[in-house]
Amino acid sequence: MKVLNILRSEPDETVEKLSEAVSKGNQSTVTILYGENVDWEGLVDDIFLHDKVICWW
Amino acid sequence: MADTLGILVNTDRYLDYVVKLTQAAHSKGKTVQIFFTGKGVLLTQKPDFKKLVGKAKLAICDVSFRSNGLHGREDEVPGVGFKDFATQARNAEMVANVDRYVVF
Amino acid sequence: MKKVAVVIKDADQQYEGLRTSLGLLLEDTKVQMFVLHHEIANMDEAYSDNMEFLDEMEGERFSNNSANVEKYGFQYITLADIGAKIREADLIIPF
Repeated sequence: MKVLNILRSEPDETVEKLSEAVSKGNQSTVTILYGENVDWEGLVDDIFLHDKVICWW
Repeated sequence: MADTLGILVNTDRYLDYVVKLTQAAHSKGKTVQIFFTGKGVLLTQKPDFKKLVGKAKLAICDVSFRSNGLHGREDEVPGVGFKDFATQARNAEMVANVDRYVVF
Repeated sequence: MKKVAVVIKDADQQYEGLRTSLGLLLEDTKVQMFVLHHEIANMDEAYSDNMEFLDEMEGERFSNNSANVEKYGFQYITLADIGAKIREADLIIPF
């Protein structure tokens, strides 16, 4: 399964542990929104190319 | 049929993300539905909220709108008709029907 | 039927997360609600009534905070086990 982890803000320990658990054994990708230069159209493509999308805090 | 993206907005922190993702999805021919609940309803009062009009089907949790002191201002929210002030069932329908679902 | 994990980390979002969980249950969605770290901040009549309703609708509620287990009947779960459970969900909704 392809999992897309979207980080809306800098991850704390909880987010790190949960995202690791969800991604384990899957093909996972991380997209960071709190940095500069987010490729929003690329993110739309990624959202539909992955089986599961999670927007962490 | 176009891919459908559902967006749940349950905080008032990420309007910029919601607008940019909605604009990008719309430009790529996706259908976008957005449900605002909890503190997310406060975003209806921000100037940039109107950037979503015409690019997504918008709905608001009526209970949240009232509990955040906005009752009486329903007709000031651009792009949202009376019937789109809805219950949590609208979010559940979105969960059931969209192809992808994200939360901001 | 979709399986949804509602994961509530912000203490001030505990009631909203419960409301969303109930709304999903009413539309024939399987819901597991997880309250992370914090004790329920405001166990008022509204929260209590909705929590009972969630139980009647066969929603499941878990917490890694022992006070929620002892006072309010949540099932105890560790953070590691939350990770394992939400891994099985179709959707994860953070609050």
